[in-house]
Parts: sequence; structure tokens; C-alpha cells
Amino acid sequence: MAMIDEPLYPIAILIDELKNEDIQLRLNSIRRLSTIARALGEERTRKELIPFLSENNDDDDEVLLAMAEELGVFIPYVGGVEYAHVLLPPLETLCTVEETCVRDKAVESLCRIGAQMKESDLVDWFIPLVKRLAAGEWFTARVSSCGLFHIAYPSAPEMLKTELRSIYSQLCQDDMPMVRRSAASNLGKFAATVEPNHLKTDIMTIFEDLTQDDQDSVRLLAVEGCAALGKLLEPQDCVAHILPVIVNFSQDKSWRVRYMVANQLYELCEAVGPEPTRADLVPAYVRLLRDNEAEVRIAAAGKVTKFCRILNPQLAIQSILPCVKELSSDSSQHVRSALASVIMGMAPVLGKEATIEQLLPIFLSLLKDEFPDVRLNIISKLDQVNQVIGIDLLSQSLLPAIVELAEDRHWRVRLAIIEYIPLLASQLGVGFFDDKLGALCMQWLEDKVYSIRDAAANNLKRLAEEFGPDWAMQHIIPQVLDMINNSHYLYRMTILHAVSLLAPVMGSEITCSKLLPVVINASKDRVPNIKFNVAKVLQSLIPIVDNSQVVEQTIRPCLVELSEDPDVDVRFFATQALQASDQVMMSS
Amino acid sequence: MSVDQMSSNSHGNLDEQISQLMQCKPLSEQEVRGLCEKAKEILMEESNVQPVKSPVTICGDIHGQFHDLAELFRIGGKCPDTNYLFMGDYVDRGYYSVETVTLLVALKVRYPQRITILRGNHESRQITQVYGFYDECLRKYGNATVWKIFTDLFDYFPLTALVESEIFCLHGGLSPSIETLDNIRNFDRVQEVPHEGPMCDLLWSDPDDRCGWGISPRGAGYTFGQDISEQFNHTNNLKLIARAHQLVMEGFNWGHEQKVVTIFSAPNYCYRCGNMASILEVDDCQGHTFIQFEPAPRRGEPDVTRRTPDYFL
Repeated sequence: MAMIDEPLYPIAILIDELKNEDIQLRLNSIRRLSTIARALGEERTRKELIPFLSENNDDDDEVLLAMAEELGVFIPYVGGVEYAHVLLPPLETLCTVEETCVRDKAVESLCRIGAQMKESDLVDWFIPLVKRLAAGEWFTARVSSCGLFHIAYPSAPEMLKTELRSIYSQLCQDDMPMVRRSAASNLGKFAATVEPNHLKTDIMTIFEDLTQDDQDSVRLLAVEGCAALGKLLEPQDCVAHILPVIVNFSQDKSWRVRYMVANQLYELCEAVGPEPTRADLVPAYVRLLRDNEAEVRIAAAGKVTKFCRILNPQLAIQSILPCVKELSSDSSQHVRSALASVIMGMAPVLGKEATIEQLLPIFLSLLKDEFPDVRLNIISKLDQVNQVIGIDLLSQSLLPAIVELAEDRHWRVRLAIIEYIPLLASQLGVGFFDDKLGALCMQWLEDKVYSIRDAAANNLKRLAEEFGPDWAMQHIIPQVLDMINNSHYLYRMTILHAVSLLAPVMGSEITCSKLLPVVINASKDRVPNIKFNVAKVLQSLIPIVDNSQVVEQTIRPCLVELSEDPDVDVRFFATQALQASDQVMMSS
Repeated sequence: MSVDQMSSNSHGNLDEQISQLMQCKPLSEQEVRGLCEKAKEILMEESNVQPVKSPVTICGDIHGQFHDLAELFRIGGKCPDTNYLFMGDYVDRGYYSVETVTLLVALKVRYPQRITILRGNHESRQITQVYGFYDECLRKYGNATVWKIFTDLFDYFPLTALVESEIFCLHGGLSPSIETLDNIRNFDRVQEVPHEGPMCDLLWSDPDDRCGWGISPRGAGYTFGQDISEQFNHTNNLKLIARAHQLVMEGFNWGHEQKVVTIFSAPNYCYRCGNMASILEVDDCQGHTFIQFEPAPRRGEPDVTRRTPDYFL
């Protein structure tokens, strides 16, 4: 209600602007329709503003869209729910315009209003509107009507209900495919409001007609309805009515329909239960996994783990695994990539033995795939396999491939490997780690790509946490500090970054004796970027050093010198660090 | 209180704006206006041949491909930690010209010593009205004010840069009316890119396999041969001319027996060319490293081949 204080003259302007020639101004004023309505009061809104909007409907689509949206929340401004029906006429007109977005929004707003209307008002105003639209001469009206039945139906008296069902059935046989599409995609919502006895008769007849439509775009939407309808039916009816349809769809001549089935199949399995799944849906799924169209195989491959989860392991191994083997060398990289993104999840489903015998070779071949996305998808989920087969076997069979990927040409593959290292390290243990992976971890600090160097520094920190400061003192710190002499400033910067990450793990004593001298020395670097990073690192070291003598005698003098540097950024970050150290000193 | 301390407080807002822009969210019209006023003060002090120190990372065309600019920073390192020199064409063609150019200008204002932004032939009123920046501003702000503010600022962008007196960097190429770097230093650059003349040539010309000067198929600037590059480098004591302006499939391309190099930093240019992008790192010992990169993976934009759009129904 804050807007109520606005002076009145802008309202006059807004109303004027509703008719302005500039579309931007009309749009602005439509967006503030509620302000206008509040200023006019409820009665004048009903008697003047709404009729004006009803007539004023040949505007730009953008204005109409805004109007359709605003009217959906307009009930409070016309005097509450009992007057809601006055909002129907302008929205009814918007339901018939050419532009789909406007119609969709108008239908959405009508549903929103209808859901709040009293039952008797729905019968008096809303249902007649739905019938008018459904009988509309132009297809746009009929398209819109399909989305309104689920609001109209529940409050209709018995006679009217019969009529509404028959109208819907006519819409499903409309001459225009656009209307049949709309009827198909709204069928699930409508069916949910229909009584069970009519569901099995009327609605299933409608549904069966749609599944045999000659337009694949209509059948496509019918597939989407399968799962929704399946949930409404008793399991035995579902098996009788829905299952044959699905099996048919899985052999549809249009690949788009088969694609849709491949995407939805596992949900249907839940609806029909285990026995029919085994008998009918597994063969259908196997067909989809071997489909001629790559698009269909992509969709089917992406669901392979979810599908296997609802089968028993034996069935999965018997019927699905052979297809998975074929898909791992599919000619389409997108199929292999989709498979790689889910296949690791099959390990827990199939169990240890089958994973070792059957899945591991597939993992290995996907790890060596020429397409980087495939490799990446496997690496990023390796941990799911650890749990099943144990680290020893994993390291024997997969580690060589992992080490090879550590130098992969694609930096995101390298990154995925680095991010997997701490987990691997914790499971392999120190000895094994030093042997095989230690050198790699150092090598990444000098990677060409910044993000890899950054991840490498973080990795060292996590390793130091895992194996402890004593280990780090031997295996990380000396090697890292050596690299501070690299001739490339960006690589020296990585080392500074690594030092600031390692310091908290190593503790005060090692920080003061080993790390700090290197950082102080770097403040003499010829490159300003190094110098201001020294300032940042020193700032982060102050609380770790936790020794006022070192701060006063070593860190602050260095920062003071940097704060008088010729370079403005060095001065800035040094000054910032000094201010921070002042605060630390004051608080301690 | 020192000047630095004063300024350290005033950066707060700018740092916030930069982190907002890094998420590909544009600034308000008012913020753009304030930013560009500060940028103008900084840029008008720069030379037509702006001296730049090594180490620095040299980059070519971006063309509104914001997510690929973000990838560039993931590859090359963040500003200000890494020093950058961009050789123009920040706007047009890609979907995010507004975010791209605002981010680069914001970084310039925050870290004038760490980043250099040169003018490309697309940093012009005329070209941006044809190739997308104007329309994008209209779409994102509802009016042309932001376009006006930026194109007015473009007039102040330096035309060329000189890294450690050795590498001459510019968007397009050489001009028959320019023999020495002093020729460039002497003219008044604060104007719309003219249709002809030396300033136009610097932003439009291309190197060519044929000797001497040639007529450019672009209708502006010239083509220049190896003899021209050798003479120019010799006269001005240069080792290399680094320029952008042309799509090269590997992201960089040597020419004229390593007297000229083309660098292009928009991978899969126009979202369809399938080219690699690259940047050139000149390190503190003047060593050169090219780093190539591919388009950033785009969330919510599946591979082109995946699904037929609905309008094919």
C-alpha cells in the first residue's frame, strides 16, 4: 500500500499513456495497471478500466502479454472474488490472439482466477467461456480452451460434465494438429479431475485415439501423458491399457516419439510394476538402446543406470549389460558421452563380481576415448567404483590410465584428475602415493593453464592436511619453495599462493622458519604483480605467525617498504595489509 | 592519511561492480555512466602508442563472447594478478557485448597499470549499429543511452601499444601514410573512426602474402606485404607486430617470416566457426608462449546436434 501515497497526477499520466503511441510508454503503464486501478477505486475499475482493456486488444504482442499477466492477479482491485468474473472477458479475447506467448499467459491467468472463483460463479461464467472458446471458429481459441477444462470440470453439474467430456473428445479429433497437440498435452491434467469410472471409458478412448494420431508431434505429447495417466489408473488397468501403447510407441516410425519413450521408460516401469517390466518393457528398452537413430540411443543410454536399478542384478547383467558393451564403442561420441555420464552408477547395482569382470573393461575403454567429454564423465565419478571393488583393484587396473590422463591435452580433464587426487591419496595411503602420484602433483604447479596451477596449489594443501605436517615438510615444502625461482612471474605467483594455503596447515614455527623468508625475499621481485601478491600473502600470514616480534621486525618493515613502491597497485595492497595488521595488533 | 588510503576506500563500489560483471550481470545505466566518466579521464592520458611493460598477456578479438572471456581468464589468470593487453573488438556478433565491454572498462578503471585496452574497428558508432552492439544495448536497457556512452568513450581508446619497445600491438595493421611510431603519436585520435587515412588503416589493414600495398577486400584499410612489415620493424627497431582482426583457425598465426603474428581470442567465433582461440604470454624474460583454448562449456546450451527445435515440426 506504499504506492497509495503517490500524488494523483502520475495516475492521469499513466492512463493517458495507456493510449500513447510509444510502445515503451504503453508497456510501462500496463505494468503499473494495479496502481491505476487503486487510484480509480474498485467500482470504476470494473466499469471503466476493464471494459477499456477489453476493447483495447489489438496492441503489440508485448503489451498484450503484460496485460494478460497483470489481469491474473487483479481480483483484489475489482472488489474481491465475487467480482472476479468481470476479468474474464478481456482474458477471453487474449485467448484468441495469434501470438502463442500471449495465449499461454492468458490461459495461465484464467486458471489462476478460476481456481479462486466460487462454484456457482464458475458454472455461470467460467464454463460458458470454456465452451465458447472450444467452439471458436479460429483454431487459437480452441487451442486455449484445452488448458481450462481441469479448472471448469470439478464444479460442473453432472449433465454439464458429460458435455465437457464430449467436447474434449471432439477437440482431440480436431482438424487442426495444433488443437490436437494442445488437447494431448493437457490430457493428464484434465484426467486427474475426472471420476475413475469415466476415466477408464471416456478418457482412455480419447487417449487411444491420440496415440494413433497421424502427426508424430501429437503422438509425442501422448507419450508424455502415459506416465501421468499411468499413475491415475489401478496397476492392472495400467498394464492393460498403457503397457501395449508404450510397447507400440517404442517401435514408432518417428524417431522423435521413440526418443520420448526412451526418456520416460523407467518412470513407466514404476507404474506397471516388476513383472510386466521384465516381460515387456525390458525388450522394448533393449530395442531403444540399439535404435538406428543416435538421438534415441543418447536418451536411452543416459537412463541405463536408473533403469538397471529397478531390475534385479541378474536381469540387468543378462539383458542390459551386453547393450552397454556395444554402446561403449558406439559411432556417436554423444552416445558414448551419455553412457559415460551414468555408467559408474551401475557398479553398486551389479555388485563386485560383475563390475570387475564386465564393467572395468568398459571403464578402461571409455577412459581412453578420443572425445574428452567421455573421459571427463568417467573420471569425475570414479569414487562410486571405489566403494564396490576396493582401492587395490582400482589402483591396479585404472591407475595407469589415470596417470596418463594427468597430462591430458584438455585442461578440464586434468582438472578432474587433480580434484580426484585427495580422495585417491587418502585411500591409497602414503607409501603408494609417494611412489606414483607425488611427482605429478608438483608438475601441475607449472601447468600452462592458470586454473590447473590454482587447483594444484589447493591440492597440495589438502594432501598436507591428509598426511600431516611432518610428511609435508619432507615431500612438499622443499620442492615447492624451490620453484619460487621460476623465470615466469605467473609460476612464481602460484608458489606464493601455495605458500599462503600451506601455512595454516604447517603452523607457526615452520611458517616463520621456512615459508616467511621466501615470501620476504619475493618482495624484491622486479615484477609488481609478484610484489602486491607478497603483500596479500603477508597479510594472510600475520594471524598464523602469531608472534608480535616477527610481525614487528620482519613483516611490517617489508610491508612499509612495499607501501612506498612506485607501482600504485603494490602500494594499495601493502597499505591494505598494514591496516589489517594494525587491527590485529589492536585486538590482541 | 595518504592518497592511497583515501583511494582504498573508494574502490569498494568498483570491486563490487567487477564481481557483479564477472557473473555476466550488466550494470545499471547510471553505473555505466559513472564508470565511463572515470575511464575517460584515464584513457585520455594514454598515448596513441601506449607504452606497456612486460610481463603481459596479449589478447585478440572477443566480440561479446562473454563466457569465452571468462574462460580466457581461467586460462591466463585473473586481472590484476596477470597483466593484460587487449587489441580491440570487444563488442558485436556475440550475445554479451554489454557485459564484455563493461567488464574490461571496469578493470581498466580499477587497475589502470595492469590492463591496456586498445581500439578495434568495431569500437565505432557506425559499425556497432550494424553488427549488434546497438541492438543489444536497446534490448538490455530499453534505450540507446548506454550505447551512446560507450561509443563516446571508444573515441578515447588508444590505437596502438608498444611492449618493452619491441612488440608493436594494434588491432588491424600498417598504413601507407605511417612510417614511424612518431607519426602515430602525433595525430588527434579522439574522434569516430574515419573512412580512410592513417587512423582508419591501423584499425582495418591486414597482412598479405603479396608484396607492397594492396587494396583491401574489406573496403577500408590496406593489405601489406612482408617487405612493408620488414621495413617498418627495421625503421622503428621492432621485433614483432602483434595484431588481431582476422579469424585464424589455430587462434594464432605467424606471418611475414615471424615479423607479424595474428592473435584471435574468440573461440568458435560467432558460435559456429569451429576455431581455437589463443593468447600470447610475454613473460619477464621476454619469452613468448601461446596458449590455445576452446569454447567454455555452456550450461543449458546443449550440443547443437542434440534435439530438433519445435519449429521443425
